[in-house]
Amino acid sequence: MRRTFVVGRWSLVVSLAFFIFSGMSAAQQKAIVLKGGKLLTITHGTIENGTLVMENGKIAAVGPSGSVNVPAGAQVIDVTGMTVYPGLIDSETALGLTEISAEQMTNDQIELSDEIMPHMHVYDAFHAESELIPVARVNGITNAIVAPDSRDTLPGQDSFIQLDGKSAPDMLLVKDIALPLNFTGDQRRNQNFESAKFPYTRMGMAAQLRQAFLDAQNYAQGLADYEKKKADYESGKSTSAKGAASKKGEDKKDAKQPPTPPKRDLKLEALLPYLQGKKTIVLAAEGPSDLETAVGLAKEFNLKFVLNHISHTQPVLDYVASLKVPVIVGPIYEDPQAYERYDAVYSLPAQLYKRGVKIAFASFDAHNVRNLPYQAGYATSFGLPYDEALKSLTLNAAEIWGVADKLGSLDVGKTANVVVANGDPLDVKTDVKQVFIGGNSIPMTNRQTRLRDMYSAP
Amino acid sequence: MIRHAIRMAVGTLVLTALAAAQQPATSTQNEVVIKNAIVMTVTHGDIQNGSVYIKDGKIVAVGDNVNAPASATVIDAGGKYLTPGIIDSHSHIALDDDVNEATSPVTPHMMMIDAFDYQDKAIYRGLAGGVTTSLLLHGSANMIGGQAVVIKHKYGANRDAMLFPGAPRSIKFASGENPKRVYGRKDQLPSTRMGNFAVQREALVQAQEYERDWDEYDAKVKKGDKDAKPPKRDLKLEALADVLRGKLLVQIHCYRADELLTEMAMAKEFGYKVRAFHHALEAYKVADQIAANGVAIATFSDWWGYKQEAWDAIPWNAVLSMRKGVRVAIKSDSEDFARRLNQEAAKTMRYGGATEDEALKMITLNPAWIIGVDDRVGSIDIGKDADLVLWDGPPLSSYGVPNKVWIDGDVYFDRALPGFGMPHYKEGM
Repeated sequence: MRRTFVVGRWSLVVSLAFFIFSGMSAAQQKAIVLKGGKLLTITHGTIENGTLVMENGKIAAVGPSGSVNVPAGAQVIDVTGMTVYPGLIDSETALGLTEISAEQMTNDQIELSDEIMPHMHVYDAFHAESELIPVARVNGITNAIVAPDSRDTLPGQDSFIQLDGKSAPDMLLVKDIALPLNFTGDQRRNQNFESAKFPYTRMGMAAQLRQAFLDAQNYAQGLADYEKKKADYESGKSTSAKGAASKKGEDKKDAKQPPTPPKRDLKLEALLPYLQGKKTIVLAAEGPSDLETAVGLAKEFNLKFVLNHISHTQPVLDYVASLKVPVIVGPIYEDPQAYERYDAVYSLPAQLYKRGVKIAFASFDAHNVRNLPYQAGYATSFGLPYDEALKSLTLNAAEIWGVADKLGSLDVGKTANVVVANGDPLDVKTDVKQVFIGGNSIPMTNRQTRLRDMYSAP
Repeated sequence: MIRHAIRMAVGTLVLTALAAAQQPATSTQNEVVIKNAIVMTVTHGDIQNGSVYIKDGKIVAVGDNVNAPASATVIDAGGKYLTPGIIDSHSHIALDDDVNEATSPVTPHMMMIDAFDYQDKAIYRGLAGGVTTSLLLHGSANMIGGQAVVIKHKYGANRDAMLFPGAPRSIKFASGENPKRVYGRKDQLPSTRMGNFAVQREALVQAQEYERDWDEYDAKVKKGDKDAKPPKRDLKLEALADVLRGKLLVQIHCYRADELLTEMAMAKEFGYKVRAFHHALEAYKVADQIAANGVAIATFSDWWGYKQEAWDAIPWNAVLSMRKGVRVAIKSDSEDFARRLNQEAAKTMRYGGATEDEALKMITLNPAWIIGVDDRVGSIDIGKDADLVLWDGPPLSSYGVPNKVWIDGDVYFDRALPGFGMPHYKEGM
């Protein structure tokens, strides 16, 4: 049984699109025009009867239907009655690092042999052919952060992916985009007393982190000293080579010996861009005290950071706001503590927004990435304005991850990651009809649709 | 004979007696009319601008208008949705770490009531999500686990007031990866699916012998044989004999299609009925056979991939099975999902095109049937318990959040109240 779509003409369109792009290549082959839809642009409001043009993988035009020129030879798709919005961005997933959670051989999420593992790179394990990726993207999630599991304080560096491509290099848009620093207590090695090892407590976690950053500072100093010596040596060499009236003796003898570079240390090397404030630390805490300790550490070393989770920090939200950093919130489905009201975490996005904090949502999941939009929807029932909820899945996330020039809204020049659905993107009932990534029409199939079709055939 | 009857009924009697002894001392409103609501009855459609009249904890009238005395308290629903209380047919809340007696694969004499922690805030959080009744099951470490307890989410009431009076006894069976893993790791039987079913069959054979011994003894007593010696009581086999006698609803944790078929064959072999398959993520592959056996399923909306036997899970499972005639419930098996089963049920509208009514039935009347309390709860019908939820936002959407929850006609959750939002609970009481 073929799946019948609510809108009859759409079914034809999808088959057509699938035919054209089934031999998909990275480059968009032909201009595609989505005509007559309700466009949720994010940056310039909703266009009730709008037209969007995708060409060469980018959004070439967007506006009210009357005002947009349709390029000659373009494939025009009538999306009247449909809602069109930018591809959603999941700000933390494990996509490509896991297949079946309970089957260890399919998992590459965390190295538990040590807590300080900044030299682990998600891109080294990222599995482009994961069956989970097509499941996520047919619900309109086109981009995601892939992060290691959070059971190490410094588990390794995140990558930012696009959920389409033939191989990992196609999909990894930004390697080492950020480094998580987890300080929730889950990183303690205190499963049981008998096998206790350092760090057994939060004191241990903090001391270990501080030592790691101090070591990295020393390492940086060592490198700087070396660079200086090398420069001196180089200039010494060049001056002597010119045979100018340089002094004879000591100086000349020194210049003959090139300085020895410090021994490379991958761990410490990996921390350098973060110590230098060139890259972002994703600082995870749950409750107020962990948050304050972790922020204290980050400030001590002048780290540039965004916050992650902070699910139980209601008592200190003004403090959170005073930090003037964005928050990857939730998941809002995390259970409240016993002393908290049932909606303490549901209402966190609204509470942060009210205080001027920029938020983004994340599934913190792999199999259930497809459900990302629903928690944003649910958050609106606890006070988050609808437009902000949508922004938290698109533009806010793009800004936080430094890709807002390419993603996060329906604007000319941005990557054509565009979703067409039969209604409100945040509602569970809404069916996503077509996803475009880089202007390519994505097959709306995956392992699950194949099983459905196999077993619902008469 | 008398002894026999007592022995058989002992579980039910204890629960009923405990529940009856403790009527909630919290009932403040004897007669209430909720008017101006979109009443989703589950059994007879929606009533736009409808009213429900509650008296003594029961629904006594439903319709466009109801005849209630002027003394009744009137609550204007302001056009919000009113549904029956949500029913979770698979829960492990309020059992602390006592979910699995994972020391033997056959433990039918474990009584979840003995572990029931009625102060667990998960009961409250489920209530705030509109859940009024839950089936608290033994875990799935054992092939034959323990006997469930059915609760109403009257958080703030005492323990016995939370027990669902007169609810039938349910027992948990399980097969597949969990028992394999738990006992395989200990180098014990079962570590395979062959072992799984051998253990189950062996236990049932013993129960048959036990049942026969008691039947023979009862027959002798009946004949007036004064010297008849009763067989030694064995709690384990006594519970299993009750399964064979059809005294227990059999709730089976099972994922794969082949295991669903094996479990049904085993039930036929030993002459008991399977009430429901839980999880049943591959039910869509053998839905015809499940429907033909009159077995229900309690499944997830879209959870998948967390283990090998969940790899073929598809979000269309519920609706594909329903269309083949299977009675389908969406359950939580999770403290988290229990708080938003309405959202989970709404997913069946998207995956397979369930109607609102069908989706709502999966979290009300159908799970009520699985628990065996569908004559008492699960729809807005005259004579049923006044377990009701008034919703902010449409319940079958991303936006449905309970505004008020009534259990037995009494408000147990009110979103507008400060603190925890519970009229009958104060922290530290």
